[in-house]
Amino acid sequence: MYAYDKYDHALVNSRVAEFRDQVERRVKGELTEEEFRPLRLMNGLYLQLHAYMLRVAVPYGTLSADQMRTLAHIARKYDKGYGHFTTRQNIQYNWPKLSDTPDILQELADVEMHAIQTSGNCIRNVTTDQFAGATADEIADPRPYAELIRQWSSFHPEFSFLPRKFKIAITGADIDRAAVKWHDIGLVVKKNDAGEVGFEVLVGGGMGRTPVIAKTIRDFLPEKDLLSYLEAILRVYNEQGRRDNKYKARIKILVDALGADEYARQTEEEWQKIKDLPIDFPAEEAARIKAFFAPPPLQVLEDNVPAVDELAKKNFIFGAWLKNNTNQHKVPGHVNVTISLKPHGGIPGDATAEQMELVAALADEYSQGELRISHEQNLILPHVAKKDLPAIWTDLDEAGLGIPNAGLLTDMIACPGLDYCSLANARSIPLAQELGKRFDDFKRLQDIGPLKIKISGCINSCGHHHAGHIGILGVDRKGEENYQLLLGGSGAEDASKAAILGPGFDENGVIDAIEKVVAVYLGERTDGEEFLATYRRVGPDVFKEAVYGTR
Amino acid sequence: MARKIKGPQMIVANRLLDGRVVFMKADGTWSAVAGDAAVAADEAGVEALEVLAQKSADENYVLSIEVIDATERDGKPFPAHMKFAMQAKGPSVRPDLGYQVSPAWEQTDL
Ligand code: HEM
Ligand code: SF4
Repeated sequence: MYAYDKYDHALVNSRVAEFRDQVERRVKGELTEEEFRPLRLMNGLYLQLHAYMLRVAVPYGTLSADQMRTLAHIARKYDKGYGHFTTRQNIQYNWPKLSDTPDILQELADVEMHAIQTSGNCIRNVTTDQFAGATADEIADPRPYAELIRQWSSFHPEFSFLPRKFKIAITGADIDRAAVKWHDIGLVVKKNDAGEVGFEVLVGGGMGRTPVIAKTIRDFLPEKDLLSYLEAILRVYNEQGRRDNKYKARIKILVDALGADEYARQTEEEWQKIKDLPIDFPAEEAARIKAFFAPPPLQVLEDNVPAVDELAKKNFIFGAWLKNNTNQHKVPGHVNVTISLKPHGGIPGDATAEQMELVAALADEYSQGELRISHEQNLILPHVAKKDLPAIWTDLDEAGLGIPNAGLLTDMIACPGLDYCSLANARSIPLAQELGKRFDDFKRLQDIGPLKIKISGCINSCGHHHAGHIGILGVDRKGEENYQLLLGGSGAEDASKAAILGPGFDENGVIDAIEKVVAVYLGERTDGEEFLATYRRVGPDVFKEAVYGTR
Repeated sequence: MARKIKGPQMIVANRLLDGRVVFMKADGTWSAVAGDAAVAADEAGVEALEVLAQKSADENYVLSIEVIDATERDGKPFPAHMKFAMQAKGPSVRPDLGYQVSPAWEQTDL
């Protein structure tokens, strides 16, 4: 893992001291709320419905067991004993006091964490594949690049006041687990014919009220040119992105207005001007950063572990967990374990301080002290020896974390919605809870197979509903919560926009509708065909008829 | 600023130091309980409440002042709309946690 050097420490500590001073001045009345608001947002502190909310970055979703313990400690000492892991690979605390936030930020800084650039119109926390550096299907570990982007973009003076927020995601595998095509910039690690590493560069993806899938502007960018090329993309956006209307301010609107080819041309033109400036990292620096992410020294082990197979045969839940919640590691005999934060009837992404501590302890014992957060709001133990799976699962199961639903229907993404969020039109969490109860049958879930449901409480789309195989969007219909049903989205390498199926429903109505959609799928699917493939093959009409036909 | 009001109004805000939801009482002080809120039935009344609330904001006690539609619940004032009712009650999915059910937190004197 990356370790702060003295500059990182100095920067983060001085930011905490600065914020402490700002909070004091606000409390004394020397700063008005108008003056203070942008300052607190720059430190990840929002005001939500019930309280402040603090958003803490987990850079590219990687953290240590000690950092997780600090997150647990903060939840217990300054909050109400829990935190919410989000699609942005962040953690959000729902109840911090303004007066406590400088102390919270100091505790974070002490373990090399911060909340800088988790809000505001700047380059946000770079997100990536939760299995980065560990999965068998990867070309190269994307995290060193994510770290370089983090260093380049942190406090970047030119890009601190962009027209709008800016999100970059990177995947090192062909299987896209980071939804890169839905980001302002998406990077896909590639190798060229000469075996050199570089990136396919996509721009202009985004959700919100205008969902757009990013377009490729460069098929292969050599790795050494990464930062100067990003700088060129950002310069074109910073110069021409709209500042007059915040709904038209994201890069996706500019890329759409100019066309991807023209955007590529202007980027290239800008890049020619700056590419020889000292923006890109020298080879030694790249090597130094990469060394932090060197693979852990794992022993090659047998992939077949009889004790694991036996337990899987005896215990259906463990068997399902083994199938759904593990990902093949680069090193034989190892897997990456997904700890589902989607207990049926629970709150997607929420974890208690005790659960965080348990996971940290498991990381110390079984996964090299390392943890990950996925954009699907789950926790990951990377680098686990297969033989340890029964012990890990038993511990998890006792803490209510042994749920075998990763990738299945009840592994939903849900934003905080109207239960916490001041922008919401409708609640998201109760829908997720109700879905969990309706589909609380692991044999049935296993039979339905991979199916991604994503729920947002308003059009801002924090819950990725545009990218859901089944998406749910909360709207306000004459003061009542109402839910629209969307089908056919994908956040993966085959990204697609979900389409609204028809008129909206109340809470029970939308869950009934999902039952009908699932029934249609089960009736229509061919052998081994997954939900999304069936939907793409048969089209929306059969689904529409099943859901609305009898009205 | 004179403006038309559609019905009875009350004022909700968040307390500066901890962000907790508070409703304004007739004397310009604040309560975590919606039922304690002052309700104004006409424009002059709303303006008077707003002046009081603004004073409290100027004194840096509250922020995010909202004048909202009021209704009645059990004979007491309550926010008419979903979002503000949520503020009055706390998150529906954690009935164990809102300030409103957690007196120790609620009574922290700030
Ligand atoms: C609770 C306070 C939150 C606020 C005020 C908020 C605000 C917003 C807004 C205004 C947008 C639309 C941006 C645009 O289209 O230009 C947005 C998008 C988004 N937010 Fe949030 N959000 C919140 C929570 C979250 C949470 C909890 C997550 C992660 C689970 C999240 C992740 C995202 C994502 C992934 C998008 C869509 C991607 C995109 O930027 O196009 N947000 N948010
Ligand atoms: S999608 Fe809307 S309701 Fe959900 S967290 Fe984002 S802004 Fe809030």
